[in-house]
Amino acid sequence: MFARRALAVLTAGTAMSALATPADAQSAAAQTAAGTVVNNTAAVTYSVNGTQQTTSSTTATFVVDRKVNFTLAVDQVGFTQVNLGQQNAVTTYKVTNLTNAAQDFLLDPDQQNISLGILPGTDNFDIAGMKAYVDSNGNGVYDAGVDTKEYIDELAPDASATVFIVGNVPTSASANLAFVSLHVIAAEGGASGTKGAALIATDLNLANADSTVDVVFADDDTDGTLYLGDIARNGQGRVYSGYEVGTRNVALTVAKSAKILSDGVNLVNPKALPGATVEYCLRVSNATLTAAADGVTLTDALPAHTTYVPGSISIGTPGLLGVACVVSGSAEDDDANDAGETDGATASYDTASRTLSARLDRVGGGGATAVAFRVTID
Amino acid sequence: MSPLRPFTALALAAAVLPAAARASGPLEVASSVLVEARSRAADGTTRVALVPARRIVPGDRVTVVLAYRNTGARPIADVAFDNPVPAGLSYRAPAPGSAAPEVSADGRSYAPLAGLRVGMRAATGDDVRHVRWRLDRPIPAGASGRLAFTAVLR
Repeated sequence: MFARRALAVLTAGTAMSALATPADAQSAAAQTAAGTVVNNTAAVTYSVNGTQQTTSSTTATFVVDRKVNFTLAVDQVGFTQVNLGQQNAVTTYKVTNLTNAAQDFLLDPDQQNISLGILPGTDNFDIAGMKAYVDSNGNGVYDAGVDTKEYIDELAPDASATVFIVGNVPTSASANLAFVSLHVIAAEGGASGTKGAALIATDLNLANADSTVDVVFADDDTDGTLYLGDIARNGQGRVYSGYEVGTRNVALTVAKSAKILSDGVNLVNPKALPGATVEYCLRVSNATLTAAADGVTLTDALPAHTTYVPGSISIGTPGLLGVACVVSGSAEDDDANDAGETDGATASYDTASRTLSARLDRVGGGGATAVAFRVTID
Repeated sequence: MSPLRPFTALALAAAVLPAAARASGPLEVASSVLVEARSRAADGTTRVALVPARRIVPGDRVTVVLAYRNTGARPIADVAFDNPVPAGLSYRAPAPGSAAPEVSADGRSYAPLAGLRVGMRAATGDDVRHVRWRLDRPIPAGASGRLAFTAVLR
Protein backbone atom coordinates (compact mmCIF):
# COMPACT_ATOMS: atom_id res chain seq x y z
CA MET A 1 0.00 0.00 0.00
CA PHE A 2 1.08 3.53 -0.71
CA ALA A 3 0.42 4.51 2.88
CA ARG A 4 2.75 1.92 4.32
CA ARG A 5 5.49 2.70 1.90
CA ALA A 6 5.24 6.40 2.55
CA LEU A 7 5.24 5.90 6.27
CA ALA A 8 8.36 3.79 6.07
CA VAL A 9 10.18 6.45 4.12
CA LEU A 10 8.91 9.22 6.34
CA THR A 11 10.09 7.57 9.50
CA ALA A 12 13.44 6.69 8.00
CA GLY A 13 13.79 10.37 7.41
CA THR A 14 17.54 10.58 6.95
CA ALA A 15 17.28 12.20 3.54
CA MET A 16 15.63 15.19 5.12
CA SER A 17 18.79 16.35 6.80
CA ALA A 18 19.98 17.51 3.40
CA LEU A 19 17.33 20.20 3.38
CA ALA A 20 18.64 23.64 4.12
CA THR A 21 17.15 25.63 6.94
CA PRO A 22 17.85 29.25 6.15
CA ALA A 23 15.47 30.15 8.95
CA ASP A 24 18.31 29.43 11.35
CA ALA A 25 20.06 32.61 10.31
CA GLN A 26 17.15 34.94 10.91
CA SER A 27 16.93 37.63 13.52
CA ALA A 28 15.09 37.03 16.74
CA ALA A 29 12.40 39.60 15.97
CA ALA A 30 11.46 37.67 12.84
CA GLN A 31 11.10 34.48 14.83
CA THR A 32 7.70 33.18 15.72
CA ALA A 33 7.03 34.31 19.27
CA ALA A 34 7.05 31.72 22.03
CA GLY A 35 3.55 30.67 22.95
CA THR A 36 2.18 31.10 19.42
CA VAL A 37 -0.30 28.33 18.65
CA VAL A 38 0.17 26.96 15.14
CA ASN A 39 -2.81 25.11 13.70
CA ASN A 40 -2.80 23.14 10.49
CA THR A 41 -6.01 22.16 8.71
CA ALA A 42 -6.42 21.10 5.09
CA ALA A 43 -9.56 21.68 3.03
CA VAL A 44 -10.49 18.73 0.82
CA THR A 45 -12.81 18.55 -2.16
CA TYR A 46 -13.79 15.30 -3.86
CA SER A 47 -16.62 13.70 -5.71
CA VAL A 48 -18.51 10.49 -5.18
CA ASN A 49 -20.39 9.30 -8.24
CA GLY A 50 -20.13 12.76 -9.70
CA THR A 51 -21.45 14.57 -6.61
CA GLN A 52 -19.10 17.23 -5.31
CA GLN A 53 -18.28 16.98 -1.62
CA THR A 54 -16.09 18.93 0.72
CA THR A 55 -14.51 18.09 4.01
CA SER A 56 -11.64 19.26 6.08
CA SER A 57 -8.90 17.46 7.84
CA THR A 58 -8.41 17.25 11.55
CA THR A 59 -6.46 20.13 12.98
CA ALA A 60 -2.91 19.53 14.07
CA THR A 61 -1.80 21.96 16.75
CA PHE A 62 1.44 22.77 18.39
CA VAL A 63 2.71 25.55 20.62
CA VAL A 64 5.91 27.35 19.71
CA ASP A 65 8.41 26.94 22.52
CA ARG A 66 10.84 29.44 23.95
CA LYS A 67 14.23 29.23 22.24
CA VAL A 68 16.48 30.93 24.77
CA ASN A 69 19.43 32.50 23.02
CA PHE A 70 21.45 35.62 23.62
CA THR A 71 24.87 37.03 23.03
CA LEU A 72 27.11 38.55 25.66
CA ALA A 73 30.23 40.48 24.73
CA VAL A 74 32.71 42.88 26.22
CA ASP A 75 31.83 46.27 24.75
CA GLN A 76 35.13 48.06 25.09
CA VAL A 77 38.63 47.78 23.67
CA GLY A 78 41.20 46.33 26.03
CA PHE A 79 41.27 46.84 29.77
CA THR A 80 39.81 49.88 31.45
CA GLN A 81 42.74 52.14 32.34
CA VAL A 82 42.40 53.26 35.92
CA ASN A 83 44.34 55.24 38.47
CA LEU A 84 45.05 54.08 41.99
CA GLY A 85 42.19 55.00 44.30
CA GLN A 86 39.80 55.68 41.44
CA GLN A 87 36.12 55.37 42.39
CA ASN A 88 33.39 53.94 40.13
CA ALA A 89 35.77 52.49 37.56
CA VAL A 90 33.72 50.94 34.77
CA THR A 91 33.99 48.01 32.40
CA THR A 92 31.30 47.78 29.73
CA TYR A 93 29.43 44.77 28.35
CA LYS A 94 26.58 44.22 25.93
CA VAL A 95 23.76 41.69 26.14
CA THR A 96 21.60 41.03 23.05
CA ASN A 97 18.43 38.98 23.37
CA LEU A 98 18.00 36.50 20.50
CA THR A 99 15.13 34.64 22.17
CA ASN A 100 11.73 34.55 20.51
CA ALA A 101 10.28 36.24 23.57
CA ALA A 102 11.05 39.16 25.84
CA GLN A 103 12.94 38.10 28.93
CA ASP A 104 14.89 39.28 31.93
CA PHE A 105 18.59 38.73 32.47
CA LEU A 106 20.20 38.38 35.87
CA LEU A 107 23.63 39.97 36.26
CA ASP A 108 26.36 38.58 38.45
CA PRO A 109 29.75 40.36 38.49
CA ASP A 110 32.66 38.24 39.64
CA GLN A 111 36.29 38.69 40.54
CA GLN A 112 38.49 36.50 38.42
CA ASN A 113 41.97 35.22 38.82
CA ILE A 114 42.53 33.61 35.46
CA SER A 115 45.91 32.20 34.81
CA LEU A 116 44.90 30.30 31.70
CA GLY A 117 45.70 33.13 29.35
CA ILE A 118 42.18 34.11 28.36
CA LEU A 119 43.37 37.64 29.02
CA PRO A 120 46.94 38.91 28.83
CA GLY A 121 48.77 39.63 32.06
CA THR A 122 48.39 38.44 35.62
CA ASP A 123 45.65 39.46 38.01
CA ASN A 124 47.08 40.94 41.21
CA PHE A 125 44.34 42.97 42.85
CA ASP A 126 40.58 42.97 43.35
CA ILE A 127 38.09 45.68 42.60
CA ALA A 128 36.26 46.73 45.75
CA GLY A 129 32.50 47.16 46.04
CA MET A 130 31.84 45.58 42.66
CA LYS A 131 28.32 45.90 41.22
CA ALA A 132 26.73 45.35 37.83
CA TYR A 133 24.33 48.00 36.57
CA VAL A 134 22.21 48.34 33.44
CA ASP A 135 22.61 51.45 31.28
CA SER A 136 19.12 52.76 32.00
CA ASN A 137 19.22 55.75 29.66
CA GLY A 138 20.99 53.99 26.82
CA ASN A 139 23.80 56.53 26.52
CA GLY A 140 26.55 53.92 26.78
CA VAL A 141 28.14 55.73 29.72
CA TYR A 142 27.80 54.83 33.38
CA ASP A 143 25.92 57.54 35.22
CA ALA A 144 26.26 57.11 38.98
CA GLY A 145 22.89 57.36 40.67
CA VAL A 146 21.04 57.07 37.34
CA ASP A 147 22.05 53.62 36.16
CA THR A 148 20.95 51.75 39.27
CA LYS A 149 19.08 48.66 38.00
CA GLU A 150 20.95 45.47 38.78
CA TYR A 151 19.11 43.20 36.32
CA ILE A 152 17.95 43.61 32.72
CA ASP A 153 14.19 43.95 32.69
CA GLU A 154 12.06 42.78 29.75
CA LEU A 155 14.63 42.84 26.97
CA ALA A 156 12.68 42.51 23.70
CA PRO A 157 13.74 40.09 20.95
CA ASP A 158 16.74 41.49 19.08
CA ALA A 159 17.15 44.34 21.58
CA SER A 160 20.44 44.99 23.34
CA ALA A 161 21.28 46.30 26.77
CA THR A 162 24.56 47.76 27.94
CA VAL A 163 25.78 46.57 31.31
CA PHE A 164 28.49 48.14 33.45
CA ILE A 165 30.60 46.53 36.12
CA VAL A 166 31.37 49.36 38.52
CA GLY A 167 33.88 49.24 41.36
CA ASN A 168 36.64 51.02 43.19
CA VAL A 169 40.37 50.67 42.67
CA PRO A 170 42.45 50.24 45.84
CA THR A 171 45.29 52.61 46.63
CA SER A 172 47.98 50.00 47.19
CA ALA A 173 50.94 50.86 45.03
CA SER A 174 51.45 47.28 43.85
CA ALA A 175 48.04 47.09 42.18
CA ASN A 176 48.49 46.50 38.52
CA LEU A 177 45.77 44.38 36.95
CA ALA A 178 42.36 43.10 38.07
CA PHE A 179 40.32 40.64 36.03
CA VAL A 180 36.56 40.63 36.36
CA SER A 181 33.86 38.66 34.62
CA LEU A 182 30.20 39.31 33.96
CA HIS A 183 28.00 36.26 34.43
CA VAL A 184 24.59 36.64 32.78
CA ILE A 185 21.67 34.29 33.40
CA ALA A 186 18.53 34.26 31.26
CA ALA A 187 15.44 34.73 33.40
CA GLU A 188 11.69 34.62 33.07
CA GLY A 189 10.21 37.69 31.40
CA GLY A 190 6.65 38.86 31.22
CA ALA A 191 6.38 41.09 34.28
CA SER A 192 7.77 44.57 33.78
CA GLY A 193 9.63 45.89 36.79
CA THR A 194 9.88 42.44 38.33
CA LYS A 195 13.08 40.44 38.47
CA GLY A 196 12.22 37.10 36.91
CA ALA A 197 13.43 33.74 38.14
CA ALA A 198 16.28 32.08 36.28
CA LEU A 199 14.99 29.93 33.44
CA ILE A 200 15.25 26.18 33.70
CA ALA A 201 15.19 24.04 30.57
CA THR A 202 12.02 21.97 30.39
CA ASP A 203 12.46 18.29 31.08
CA LEU A 204 10.86 16.72 28.05
CA ASN A 205 10.15 13.55 29.89
CA LEU A 206 7.47 15.41 31.80
CA ALA A 207 3.97 14.57 30.74
CA ASN A 208 1.85 17.07 28.86
CA ALA A 209 4.74 18.99 27.40
CA ASP A 210 3.00 19.54 24.06
CA SER A 211 0.59 22.33 24.79
CA THR A 212 2.88 24.32 27.07
CA VAL A 213 5.70 26.69 26.25
CA ASP A 214 8.83 24.66 26.87
CA VAL A 215 12.13 26.35 27.62
CA VAL A 216 14.86 25.28 25.21
CA PHE A 217 18.37 26.65 25.66
CA ALA A 218 20.10 27.48 22.40
CA ASP A 219 22.81 29.87 23.61
CA ASP A 220 26.45 29.55 22.65
CA ASP A 221 29.47 28.97 24.84
CA THR A 222 30.48 32.60 25.35
CA ASP A 223 34.01 31.99 26.61
CA GLY A 224 35.09 29.25 24.22
CA THR A 225 35.61 25.57 24.82
CA LEU A 226 38.95 26.07 26.61
CA TYR A 227 37.36 27.86 29.54
CA LEU A 228 34.75 26.50 31.86
CA GLY A 229 33.09 29.75 32.88
CA ASP A 230 30.31 28.98 30.43
CA ILE A 231 29.14 26.06 28.34
CA ALA A 232 26.80 25.99 25.37
CA ARG A 233 23.05 25.62 25.90
CA ASN A 234 22.89 26.43 29.59
CA GLY A 235 20.96 29.70 29.42
CA GLN A 236 23.97 31.54 30.79
CA GLY A 237 26.96 33.45 29.53
CA ARG A 238 30.23 34.75 30.92
CA VAL A 239 32.76 37.14 29.48
CA TYR A 240 35.93 38.58 30.95
CA SER A 241 37.45 42.01 31.11
CA GLY A 242 39.69 43.88 33.48
CA TYR A 243 41.07 47.01 35.07
CA GLU A 244 44.66 48.01 34.51
CA VAL A 245 46.68 50.51 36.48
CA GLY A 246 48.76 50.73 33.36
CA THR A 247 49.47 54.41 33.19
CA ARG A 248 52.22 55.52 35.46
CA ASN A 249 53.58 57.84 32.81
CA VAL A 250 52.26 59.52 29.68
CA ALA A 251 53.80 60.38 26.32
CA LEU A 252 54.30 64.09 26.84
CA THR A 253 56.01 66.16 24.19
CA VAL A 254 56.84 69.84 23.95
CA ALA A 255 57.23 71.60 20.62
CA LYS A 256 58.77 75.04 20.56
CA SER A 257 58.31 77.41 17.66
CA ALA A 258 58.98 81.05 16.99
CA LYS A 259 57.07 83.52 14.89
CA ILE A 260 57.97 87.11 14.06
CA LEU A 261 54.98 89.30 14.75
CA SER A 262 56.34 92.69 13.61
CA ASP A 263 59.66 94.30 12.69
CA GLY A 264 58.65 97.95 12.54
CA VAL A 265 59.39 98.10 8.81
CA ASN A 266 57.43 95.51 6.88
CA LEU A 267 53.67 95.32 7.23
CA VAL A 268 53.58 91.83 5.77
CA ASN A 269 56.15 89.09 6.18
CA PRO A 270 58.09 90.78 9.00
CA LYS A 271 61.77 89.95 9.15
CA ALA A 272 64.07 89.19 12.07
CA LEU A 273 65.43 92.70 12.31
CA PRO A 274 66.73 94.28 15.51
CA GLY A 275 63.70 95.59 17.39
CA ALA A 276 61.36 93.01 15.90
CA THR A 277 58.86 91.27 18.20
CA VAL A 278 59.00 87.49 18.22
CA GLU A 279 56.39 85.20 19.73
CA TYR A 280 57.67 81.94 21.15
CA CYS A 281 55.20 79.12 21.41
CA LEU A 282 55.53 76.06 23.66
CA ARG A 283 52.99 73.45 22.70
CA VAL A 284 52.65 70.61 25.22
CA SER A 285 50.95 67.51 23.83
CA ASN A 286 49.85 64.42 25.76
CA ALA A 287 49.75 61.54 23.29
CA THR A 288 48.46 59.08 25.90
CA LEU A 289 44.75 58.97 25.30
CA THR A 290 43.75 57.34 28.53
CA ALA A 291 45.49 59.46 31.12
CA ALA A 292 45.95 63.12 31.89
CA ALA A 293 49.23 64.66 32.97
CA ASP A 294 48.87 66.85 36.03
CA GLY A 295 51.14 69.67 37.19
CA VAL A 296 53.20 69.98 34.03
CA THR A 297 55.96 72.56 34.61
CA LEU A 298 57.91 74.16 31.77
CA THR A 299 61.03 76.25 32.10
CA ASP A 300 62.56 78.09 29.21
CA ALA A 301 65.78 80.12 29.24
CA LEU A 302 65.62 83.04 26.86
CA PRO A 303 68.27 83.05 24.15
CA ALA A 304 70.95 85.72 24.04
CA HIS A 305 70.23 88.93 22.13
CA THR A 306 66.59 88.89 23.11
CA THR A 307 64.59 90.82 25.70
CA TYR A 308 61.46 89.53 27.35
CA VAL A 309 58.30 91.55 26.74
CA PRO A 310 56.80 91.97 30.22
CA GLY A 311 53.30 90.57 30.74
CA SER A 312 53.29 88.70 27.48
CA ILE A 313 52.73 85.18 28.82
CA SER A 314 49.48 83.59 27.70
CA ILE A 315 48.38 80.00 28.41
CA GLY A 316 45.48 78.19 26.78
CA THR A 317 44.18 75.93 24.06
CA PRO A 318 46.57 75.70 21.12
CA GLY A 319 45.52 77.47 17.95
CA LEU A 320 45.99 76.39 14.37
CA LEU A 321 49.58 75.30 13.93
CA GLY A 322 51.68 78.11 12.42
CA VAL A 323 48.86 80.64 12.62
CA ALA A 324 48.07 81.22 16.29
CA CYS A 325 49.84 79.80 19.29
CA VAL A 326 47.04 80.16 21.80
CA VAL A 327 43.35 80.68 21.23
CA SER A 328 41.67 82.82 23.88
CA GLY A 329 44.40 82.04 26.37
CA SER A 330 44.57 83.47 29.84
CA ALA A 331 47.20 86.15 30.44
CA GLU A 332 49.59 85.35 33.28
CA ASP A 333 51.55 87.82 35.36
CA ASP A 334 55.33 87.76 35.48
CA ASP A 335 55.91 87.60 39.23
CA ALA A 336 56.41 84.44 41.17
CA ASN A 337 53.47 85.20 43.46
CA ASP A 338 50.56 83.13 42.18
CA ALA A 339 47.98 84.37 44.65
CA GLY A 340 46.00 86.09 41.93
CA GLU A 341 45.98 83.05 39.65
CA THR A 342 42.70 81.23 39.73
CA ASP A 343 42.62 79.12 36.57
CA GLY A 344 45.22 76.61 37.71
CA ALA A 345 47.83 77.71 35.19
CA THR A 346 50.59 79.89 36.59
CA ALA A 347 53.69 81.48 35.11
CA SER A 348 56.56 83.72 36.05
CA TYR A 349 59.66 85.30 34.52
CA ASP A 350 62.88 85.56 36.43
CA THR A 351 64.84 88.51 35.09
CA ALA A 352 68.10 87.52 36.76
CA SER A 353 68.32 84.09 35.18
CA ARG A 354 66.40 85.12 32.06
CA THR A 355 64.20 82.06 32.66
CA LEU A 356 60.52 81.76 32.12
CA SER A 357 58.52 79.10 34.00
CA ALA A 358 54.98 77.99 33.41
CA ARG A 359 52.96 75.44 35.30
CA LEU A 360 49.98 73.83 33.58
CA ASP A 361 47.32 72.40 35.84
CA ARG A 362 46.43 69.46 33.61
CA VAL A 363 47.05 68.28 30.08
CA GLY A 364 44.20 65.86 29.33
CA GLY A 365 44.58 62.48 27.67
CA GLY A 366 45.13 63.10 23.97
CA GLY A 367 45.00 66.84 24.65
CA ALA A 368 47.39 69.75 24.28
CA THR A 369 48.01 73.10 25.94
CA ALA A 370 50.14 75.97 24.66
CA VAL A 371 52.18 78.68 26.35
CA ALA A 372 52.95 81.84 24.36
CA PHE A 373 55.29 84.68 25.27
CA ARG A 374 57.08 87.43 23.40
CA VAL A 375 60.59 88.78 23.13
CA THR A 376 62.14 91.59 21.19
CA ILE A 377 65.36 91.21 19.28
CA ASP A 378 68.13 93.39 20.65
CA MET B 1 -23.41 14.40 2.85
CA SER B 2 -23.57 10.91 4.08
CA PRO B 3 -25.11 10.65 7.52
CA LEU B 4 -22.78 7.80 8.29
CA ARG B 5 -20.26 8.40 11.00
CA PRO B 6 -17.75 5.70 10.25
CA PHE B 7 -15.46 6.57 13.08
CA THR B 8 -13.69 3.32 13.62
CA ALA B 9 -10.60 1.87 15.11
CA LEU B 10 -9.15 1.89 11.62
CA ALA B 11 -8.52 5.60 11.83
CA LEU B 12 -6.47 5.08 14.93
CA ALA B 13 -4.40 2.31 13.46
CA ALA B 14 -1.75 4.66 12.22
CA ALA B 15 0.07 5.66 15.35
CA VAL B 16 0.86 9.20 14.25
CA LEU B 17 -2.77 10.17 13.76
CA PRO B 18 -4.35 12.35 16.42
CA ALA B 19 -7.05 10.43 18.17
CA ALA B 20 -9.67 13.04 17.41
CA ALA B 21 -10.09 12.08 13.77
CA ARG B 22 -13.45 13.55 12.89
CA ALA B 23 -15.30 11.91 10.05
CA SER B 24 -18.18 13.68 8.45
CA GLY B 25 -17.99 11.88 5.13
CA PRO B 26 -16.47 8.85 3.49
CA LEU B 27 -13.11 10.60 3.18
CA GLU B 28 -11.27 10.93 6.45
CA VAL B 29 -8.30 13.25 6.50
CA ALA B 30 -6.09 13.58 9.52
CA SER B 31 -3.52 16.33 9.76
CA SER B 32 -0.46 16.07 11.92
CA VAL B 33 2.76 18.02 12.40
CA LEU B 34 5.86 15.97 13.09
CA VAL B 35 9.42 16.89 14.00
CA GLU B 36 12.65 15.02 13.67
CA ALA B 37 13.89 13.35 16.80
CA ARG B 38 17.50 12.25 16.67
CA SER B 39 18.71 9.48 18.88
CA ARG B 40 22.06 7.77 19.07
CA ALA B 41 21.99 4.09 18.42
CA ALA B 42 24.26 1.59 20.12
CA ASP B 43 26.35 1.22 16.99
CA GLY B 44 27.21 4.92 17.03
CA THR B 45 24.93 5.96 14.19
CA THR B 46 22.26 8.60 14.58
CA ARG B 47 18.69 7.53 14.05
CA VAL B 48 16.19 10.09 12.95
CA ALA B 49 12.58 9.43 13.73
CA LEU B 50 9.54 11.62 13.19
CA VAL B 51 7.58 12.29 16.32
CA PRO B 52 4.63 14.57 17.09
CA ALA B 53 5.73 18.18 17.55
CA ARG B 54 6.17 18.69 21.25
CA ARG B 55 9.33 20.67 21.57
CA ILE B 56 9.56 23.04 18.65
CA VAL B 57 11.42 26.32 18.46
CA PRO B 58 12.10 28.77 15.61
CA GLY B 59 14.40 27.27 13.02
CA ASP B 60 13.18 23.73 13.56
CA ARG B 61 12.12 21.64 10.59
CA VAL B 62 8.68 20.10 10.69
CA THR B 63 6.80 17.68 8.48
CA VAL B 64 3.13 18.42 7.87
CA VAL B 65 1.33 15.17 7.11
CA LEU B 66 -2.14 14.61 5.66
CA ALA B 67 -3.23 11.01 6.07
CA TYR B 68 -6.40 10.11 4.21
CA ARG B 69 -8.63 7.08 4.07
CA ASN B 70 -11.70 6.26 2.10
CA THR B 71 -14.03 4.81 4.68
CA GLY B 72 -16.98 4.62 2.27
CA ALA B 73 -18.05 1.81 0.02
CA ARG B 74 -17.52 3.64 -3.25
CA PRO B 75 -14.44 5.08 -4.94
CA ILE B 76 -13.79 8.75 -4.35
CA ALA B 77 -12.74 10.77 -7.39
CA ASP B 78 -11.41 14.24 -8.14
CA VAL B 79 -9.79 14.54 -4.75
CA ALA B 80 -8.00 17.82 -4.07
CA PHE B 81 -6.32 18.63 -0.78
CA ASP B 82 -5.63 22.30 -0.14
CA ASN B 83 -3.48 22.89 2.90
CA PRO B 84 -2.99 26.56 3.74
CA VAL B 85 0.49 26.90 5.20
CA PRO B 86 -0.03 27.90 8.84
CA ALA B 87 1.25 31.30 9.87
CA GLY B 88 4.74 30.88 11.25
CA LEU B 89 5.69 28.05 8.91
CA SER B 90 7.68 28.40 5.70
CA TYR B 91 7.22 25.75 3.05
CA ARG B 92 10.40 23.95 2.06
CA ALA B 93 9.81 20.81 -0.04
CA PRO B 94 7.68 17.70 -0.44
CA ALA B 95 8.52 15.18 2.23
CA PRO B 96 10.52 12.18 1.02
CA GLY B 97 8.13 9.58 -0.34
CA SER B 98 5.30 12.03 -0.84
CA ALA B 99 3.97 13.24 -4.17
CA ALA B 100 5.14 16.75 -5.00
CA PRO B 101 2.37 19.28 -4.45
CA GLU B 102 1.42 22.31 -6.43
CA VAL B 103 1.96 25.46 -4.45
CA SER B 104 0.52 28.94 -4.54
CA ALA B 105 1.44 32.28 -3.08
CA ASP B 106 -2.05 33.74 -3.39
CA GLY B 107 -4.41 30.76 -3.17
CA ARG B 108 -5.54 31.27 -6.80
CA SER B 109 -2.74 30.29 -9.17
CA TYR B 110 -1.02 27.02 -8.43
CA ALA B 111 2.19 25.63 -9.93
CA PRO B 112 5.08 23.43 -8.90
CA LEU B 113 7.45 25.52 -6.78
CA ALA B 114 10.05 25.66 -9.52
CA GLY B 115 7.52 27.26 -11.87
CA LEU B 116 5.83 29.61 -9.40
CA ARG B 117 6.46 33.31 -9.78
CA VAL B 118 5.76 36.20 -7.42
CA GLY B 119 5.64 39.41 -9.41
CA MET B 120 8.74 39.44 -11.57
CA ARG B 121 10.80 36.94 -9.60
CA ALA B 122 10.76 33.22 -9.00
CA ALA B 123 8.96 32.26 -5.81
CA THR B 124 10.78 30.71 -2.89
CA GLY B 125 9.45 28.46 -0.18
CA ASP B 126 8.86 31.51 2.01
CA ASP B 127 6.31 32.83 -0.49
CA VAL B 128 4.17 29.69 -0.48
CA ARG B 129 0.89 30.17 1.38
CA HIS B 130 -1.04 27.19 -0.02
CA VAL B 131 -0.02 23.62 -0.74
CA ARG B 132 -2.33 21.58 -2.96
CA TRP B 133 -2.40 18.00 -4.10
CA ARG B 134 -4.83 16.77 -6.74
CA LEU B 135 -5.07 13.01 -7.07
CA ASP B 136 -5.31 11.94 -10.70
CA ARG B 137 -6.81 8.58 -9.80
CA PRO B 138 -9.83 7.83 -7.61
CA ILE B 139 -9.29 6.48 -4.12
CA PRO B 140 -10.78 2.97 -4.05
CA ALA B 141 -13.04 2.03 -1.16
CA GLY B 142 -10.98 1.27 1.95
CA ALA B 143 -7.77 2.62 0.46
CA SER B 144 -5.63 5.16 2.24
CA GLY B 145 -2.62 7.27 1.57
CA ARG B 146 -0.39 9.91 2.91
CA LEU B 147 0.84 13.26 1.62
CA ALA B 148 3.39 15.37 3.37
CA PHE B 149 5.57 18.42 3.01
CA THR B 150 8.41 19.79 5.07
CA ALA B 151 8.45 23.29 6.45
CA VAL B 152 10.52 25.39 8.81
CA LEU B 153 9.20 27.24 11.82
CA ARG B 154 10.07 30.89 11.37
